[in-house]
Amino acid sequence: MGWYITKRGLLSVPMIVIISFLTFVLINLSPQDPAEVVLQAQGVPQITKELIAQTRAELGMDRPFLTRYFHWLTACLQLNFGNSYVTGEPVWALLGPAFSNTFKLTLVSVIAMIALSIVLGVMCALKEGGLMDQSVRGVSFFLTSMPSYLLAALMIWYFSVKLDLLPTSGMESYPSYVLPVTIIAVNYAGIYFRIVRSSMISNLHEDYVLYGRACGLPERKITIHMVRNSLQVAVSVFCMAVPIILGSTVVVENMFAWPGLGSLSVKAILSRDFPMIQAYVLVLAVSFVLFNTVSDMVNAAMNPRVRRDL
Amino acid sequence: MRRRWVTVITVIMVCAALLAGCGGTQTGSKESPKELVYASAKDINDMNPHVYTGSNPAQGVVYESLVENTEEGFKPLLAESWEISGDGKVYTFHLRKDVKFHDGEPFNAEAVKKNIEAVQRNAAKHAWIKLSTKIVSCNVIDTHTVQLVLSEAYYPALLELSFTRPYVFISPNHFKDGETKNGVNGYSGTGPYKLTEHKVDQYAVFEANEGYWGGAPKIKKLTAKVLPAGETTFLAMKKGEVNFLFTDDRGTDSIDVEAMTKLADSGGYQIVRSKPMNTKMIVANSSKTNSPVHETAVRQAIWHVIDRETISKQIFKGTEPAAYTLFSANVKYADVDLKKQGYDPEAAQKLLEQAGWVLGSGQEVRTKNGSKLSMKLYYDSNSSSQKTQAELIQHAAKKIGIQLELAGEQSTSIAKRRATGDYDLLFNQTWGLAYDPQSTIAAFTSDSSYLHTTKGIARANELYQKITQVTAAMDENVRKSLYADILRIVHEEAVFIPITNGSVTIVAPNTLQDIGFKQSQFELPFEKMHFQ
Repeated sequence: MGWYITKRGLLSVPMIVIISFLTFVLINLSPQDPAEVVLQAQGVPQITKELIAQTRAELGMDRPFLTRYFHWLTACLQLNFGNSYVTGEPVWALLGPAFSNTFKLTLVSVIAMIALSIVLGVMCALKEGGLMDQSVRGVSFFLTSMPSYLLAALMIWYFSVKLDLLPTSGMESYPSYVLPVTIIAVNYAGIYFRIVRSSMISNLHEDYVLYGRACGLPERKITIHMVRNSLQVAVSVFCMAVPIILGSTVVVENMFAWPGLGSLSVKAILSRDFPMIQAYVLVLAVSFVLFNTVSDMVNAAMNPRVRRDL
Repeated sequence: MRRRWVTVITVIMVCAALLAGCGGTQTGSKESPKELVYASAKDINDMNPHVYTGSNPAQGVVYESLVENTEEGFKPLLAESWEISGDGKVYTFHLRKDVKFHDGEPFNAEAVKKNIEAVQRNAAKHAWIKLSTKIVSCNVIDTHTVQLVLSEAYYPALLELSFTRPYVFISPNHFKDGETKNGVNGYSGTGPYKLTEHKVDQYAVFEANEGYWGGAPKIKKLTAKVLPAGETTFLAMKKGEVNFLFTDDRGTDSIDVEAMTKLADSGGYQIVRSKPMNTKMIVANSSKTNSPVHETAVRQAIWHVIDRETISKQIFKGTEPAAYTLFSANVKYADVDLKKQGYDPEAAQKLLEQAGWVLGSGQEVRTKNGSKLSMKLYYDSNSSSQKTQAELIQHAAKKIGIQLELAGEQSTSIAKRRATGDYDLLFNQTWGLAYDPQSTIAAFTSDSSYLHTTKGIARANELYQKITQVTAAMDENVRKSLYADILRIVHEEAVFIPITNGSVTIVAPNTLQDIGFKQSQFELPFEKMHFQ
C-alpha cells in the first residue's frame, strides 16, 4: 500500500504542472493588455498611454513569456501568487481567508450531504418502490432542479424573516451555517443518494444476502454488510464532491454574502484581476487532483485489485 | 425498523432547531437608535484616499477636503477662508486650528503640503483631474497657512479640491516611505467618522469621531455590510439586520423600484430621492466615417426615435425623469436655452429623407448609395434597464427604417470601445453633479474618453478651443457664455443623446431625520442625519 501511495502521489505532480501552465497560458491569451486591466481594476478614471507604459514596466510585462511563467510558478510554490491588480495586496492574503471560509462551508456541507445521502439512499433502497422511496425521489428531483438562488431566497424569507430563527446572511456565528449548508447539502444529496440507493439495491440481490438470510443472520447485520459494500462505490464519489462543492458555491455565497472563494472569484473575474483568477483556478485544480488522488488511495485501501492495476 | 428511522430523523431535526435557536441573540441585531447599518454591494476596499480603489461613501466620512462644494457655492471645510490672487494662479488657504487627525496628529500646513505633494508624485494616475497638471508647488506660509501655486489660471481649482479624492488628507504617520502611492499603513483622516473595524468582504464599522471639529455626529456608529445579492438585501432590510441603503457607485439601485416600494409600504421605511445627479445617455461616434453615425442627420434622427417619457414611466417607474439636454438645469452653467427635441418619428423620417437615406418599397432598412442605415448599439450587460431601453429604441428605430444591432458587454469593454473609437453608439452617463459640466466637458478632448465622440463633428476645432478657454477664464460671464456655446454645439450635433436623469436614492428608517445629499452622487452627509 505504501508503494501505491507514493506512486499515485508522484503521478499527480506532472498533472499539477500541466494545469499550472494551462492556467498561465489561458490568462495570457486574454486580448486585453494586463496594464490596462490593472488600471481599470484600480478604478483610475482616465487611462492615458503614458500610464499604460508605466504600468507595463512595473508589471514586468516586457519579459519573455516562459521567463514570466517560471518566475510565477516558482513563486506559487512558495504560496506567493503575486499581488491583486485591484487592491495591490498579496493574492494569498485575500485568497487564504476566502479559501478557509469556503472550506469550512464545504466541509460542513459535505458531512451533512454524506449523512443525508446515506440515510436517504439506504431507506429508499430498503423500501424500494414504496411510498417513501417515491416521495423522497420526487422531492429530491424537485429540490435539485430548483435554482439555488430561488431556494435560498425562499428559505431566507421563511426561516430568517418570517420565523426570525436564523440570520439572513454573513458568517459571524454558527447559525449562519444552517441555511447555506442546508441548501448545498440538499442539492447534492438529491443527486448522491441515488448512487447509494442503486448500489444498495444491486447488493440486495447478491448471493451473500441470500446466504446470510438462509443462515438466519439477523436482518440488522445483513443491512450493515450491505451498507458497507454499497458505500465502496460511493466513497470515490463523495471524495470528489469536496472539490466540486468547493468550486461551485458561487450562488450560495452570493446570496448569503459568504466571504468565500465563490464571491472572490466573481469579483476577480468581473474586475479582470488576473493574478487572483490564476491563483483561484490553480487552487481549485490542485484540490481536484488532490481529492482525486485521495479517492484513488481510499479505493485502493478497500480494494486490493486496484493497487495491482497501477 | 420504522421507529428507528423516525428517531433518527427526530434527532436531526431537534439538533437543527437547537442550532438555530442558538443564533437568536446574535441575529436579532435590530438597529439601536444611534446606529445605521447600510447595505453595500461591494467591500469598502483599500481606503487610501490618494488612489481610486476605495468606496467613495466610506472615504467621504473619514477624509475631508479644504473646501466644500454646496448648492450655494463653496464653503469652508478644513480651510476657514482662502484668497485667490488677481491672476488666478495663487490660492492661499487659512486652515482651521482645532483639527486633529483620528490618530491625534495635528492637521496643519505641513500635513497639507505632505499630502498634496504625495498626490502630485503619482500624477500619471490623476490625469483626469486637470488641477493635477497645473499645480506647481505647495508652500507652507505658517503653521496654519498654506499656498498653492498653479502654472496658469484654472477656475475649477476649488471644485477639484473639494472632490472625495485625491486632494483629501490622511495623517502623514500612515505614509509609507513618505509616499501614499504604494499604499498606506492606516486610515486616519479628519472626518466625522473613524474606521474602527474592517472584515474584508463582510463588513466595515465606522465610529463617530467624538473630537470632530464640527461637533460629534449624532449617529454613533455606521456599519457597511457587504450584500452582493439584491434579494438578500431586500430580505435583510425587511428583517432589520440592515436599515439603510442607497444608490451604488455606478448609479445603480441595489434593489429594484418594486422592492423599495414594498419596504416603504410595510411602514418602517421612507424613500428619499435627490435632485438629478447625472444624465444617462447614448454616445454617438461622430468620427467613424464608415458608419452612418458619422452624419449629423442620422444622429438627430436617433435622438427623435427615443421615447424618453415611456422609458421614464415604464422602465424606471417614474423615478428617473426624461432628459432633453446633456446636463440637467441644476448643473452649474448648464441652464442654457436649447431647443427641446423629443420623441418625434416623423421628424426623424424627414431628416433621413433629406439626407438621402431612402426606404425602398418592400425594404425594411433605409439605404444610401448602396449602404444600409445600420448601426451597432452597445449596452452594459450587467444593467437590466439598459437592455430594456436598447430594445425599445431598436423597435422604434426599425419602424422608420433604421437597423440597430444590440450588443451587451461588460462595462470595462464598453470603456475600452469608447477609448479606441470602436463603436457606433453606446450607453454612458455623465460624470455626475460635482464633476459636471467641467470634467465631462474636459473629457470631450481626451482620447481615453469622448474624443472619438466629438472629433468627427464639423465644428470640432471651435469646440476644443472653447473648452481650453473656459477653464482659464476668470470672468464668470465669459465662462457662462463659453459653456453655453459648448453645450449648444454638442446639442445641435446630437453626439450626446440624453435619455433620463439619474439621481441618488436612499431607503432609510422612517424615524431618521435630516436625510440630505451632497453635490456628488458618490457620498452622503451621514454626520448630519439623526434619529427622531
